[in-house]
Amino acid sequence: MKIIFFVKEGILGFKRARIAVTVGILSIALSLSLIGGFGIVAQNLSDLFRQYYKKAVIEIFINPSLKTDQINQLTKNIQKSTAVEHAKFISPEEALKDFEKDFGADLVTVLDENPLPPSIRVTLTAEASDLENTDAIVETIRRMDGVDDVVYQREILKVINEYFLIGIIISLTLGVVIFITATLLIFNTIRLTIYARRTIIEIMKLVGATNYFIKGPFIMEGIIQGMIGGGFACLLMWFFGNLIKSLFAPNLIIPLYFYFSVLGIGTFLGFLGSYFSVNKYLQY
Amino acid sequence: MIEIFNASVQIENKYLLHNVSLKIQKGEFVYLIGKTGSGKTTLLRLIYMDLFPSKGNIIVQSFSSSNIRRKQIPYLRRKVGVVFQDFKLLFDRNVFENVGFALKVVGANRRQIKSRVLSVLTQVGLHHRRYHMPKNLSGGEKQRVAIARALVNEPFILLADEPTGNLDPHVSLEILDLLEDINRKGTAVLMATHNYSLIKKYPHKTFMLDNGYLNEHKLWT
Repeated sequence: MKIIFFVKEGILGFKRARIAVTVGILSIALSLSLIGGFGIVAQNLSDLFRQYYKKAVIEIFINPSLKTDQINQLTKNIQKSTAVEHAKFISPEEALKDFEKDFGADLVTVLDENPLPPSIRVTLTAEASDLENTDAIVETIRRMDGVDDVVYQREILKVINEYFLIGIIISLTLGVVIFITATLLIFNTIRLTIYARRTIIEIMKLVGATNYFIKGPFIMEGIIQGMIGGGFACLLMWFFGNLIKSLFAPNLIIPLYFYFSVLGIGTFLGFLGSYFSVNKYLQY
Repeated sequence: MIEIFNASVQIENKYLLHNVSLKIQKGEFVYLIGKTGSGKTTLLRLIYMDLFPSKGNIIVQSFSSSNIRRKQIPYLRRKVGVVFQDFKLLFDRNVFENVGFALKVVGANRRQIKSRVLSVLTQVGLHHRRYHMPKNLSGGEKQRVAIARALVNEPFILLADEPTGNLDPHVSLEILDLLEDINRKGTAVLMATHNYSLIKKYPHKTFMLDNGYLNEHKLWT
C-alpha cells in the first residue's frame, strides 16, 4: 500500500511539476554525460597507453649452442612467470627474415653468413607492464642459464610510463572535480524541484504524515528522475560516441558497463539528492 | 486537554510570547484576539508543536512539549486540525483529493478515505463540489475545503488561524457558523482573529494577546 502510494505520488509529482522535472532531468542527463564522457576518454586513453606498452618487446638472445629441448625448456621457464603474456622462440632464420622485412638489406650476401643469434621474444601482460616489473623480470631472465643478453626499449618504456602516470594523476583530479560538480548540480536540481513543492510537504506535516510517508514520494521521484536522466545520458553517450567514432576515432570503445554505470550513478544520485533535500524540510 | 504553562518564546533577542498560560477544556470554543504581530500564530504553532517554547511547557492530551520525541509529533497533529487564512490547498488536486490527501498520508485505505471524505464534505456543505478544482471555488468554499481537510482525521480540536482573514464579512459569518456547528458536534475550536466585530455573533471565552502577553478578555464572558 505504502509503496504503491510512493510510486503513484512520485509519478504524479512529475505531472504536477512538469517544467521543473523536465529541467531537472535534462540537467541530470547533462551532468551524467559529463561523467560518462570523461570516463570514456579516460578509459580509451588508458587502453591506448597499454597498447603502446604491449608493443614493447623484450628480446632475449640465447646461446647459439643450446639444443632444441634446452631452448624449449628455457622458453617454458620464461613463460612460467605470471607477468609474461607471450614468449616465442625466434630462430636465426626467422630473425633474418624479420630483419630483411624491416630494413630491406640482404645480410647473407654482404656477410656470407647469418650473423643473427637465436632469441626468445617476450611480451608482458598489461597488469605487469610497468617499468619496475619489467626491470625485475628482465633481471630474472638475464640470470637464467643459456641467456646471453636481454634487450628492451627501457627508455621508451620509461617515457610511456611517465606520461601514463601524469595521465592518471590528471584524470583522477579531473574525474573528482567533474564528479563533484555533477553531483552538486544534480543535488541542486532536485532540491529546486522539491522546493517548488514545499507546500505539499507543509500540508503533509500539518495533517500528521510521518517523515517516512513524506519522504517516500519525493525519494521515489528522485530515483525515477535520476534514472530517466541516466537513460538520456546513455543515449547522448551512445549518439556522440558513435558520431566521434565514425568521424575521427574509429578505435573508440564504449564498454557496455559504462552505460549501466551511468544509469546506476544517476539512480543513486537521484536517491541521495532527494533524500537530503526533503530532509531539509522535515525539522518538525 | 490543552494546557500551556508559563510559555515564553524568544527568537534571537525578541520575545514573541511572555509567560503565557492557557487552558482549553474538551469541546470548548475559545477566541484568541489581538493585533497582527501580537503572537497569535506563535501561540497556535506551540499547540501543534511546530515551534517549541524557550521556557515553560505545553501539554496537548498525552503529549508534552518538554519530552515529546520528534517521531511522535505526527501523531499529535492527527489529533489537532489546523486551518489558515491562506487555505493551503493543493491547487493541482480537486476538492475530494485535497481532503482525502490528509487520510492518504496517514495510511488510510481507499474505502475509509471515500466514506470519511464524503461525510466531512457533507458536513461543510461541499458534497456537490467534490470534483471541482480549487481555482474554480470561491474564497469561502476554499476555506470550507481546508476545514474539511482539518476535520477528516477527527481531531479533538480545530485551530483556526485567521480563518476569515481573506473573506468578505458575509462569507466570514458563514465560516463562523460552520465552526460553531463543528463545535456543537463536540470538537473544540480555538480561533485566532483580529476581527473583533465578527466574533460578537457567537460570544465565547476570549483571550487577548498584546505584544506577547496574554490576558482573558472579559467583554463577552
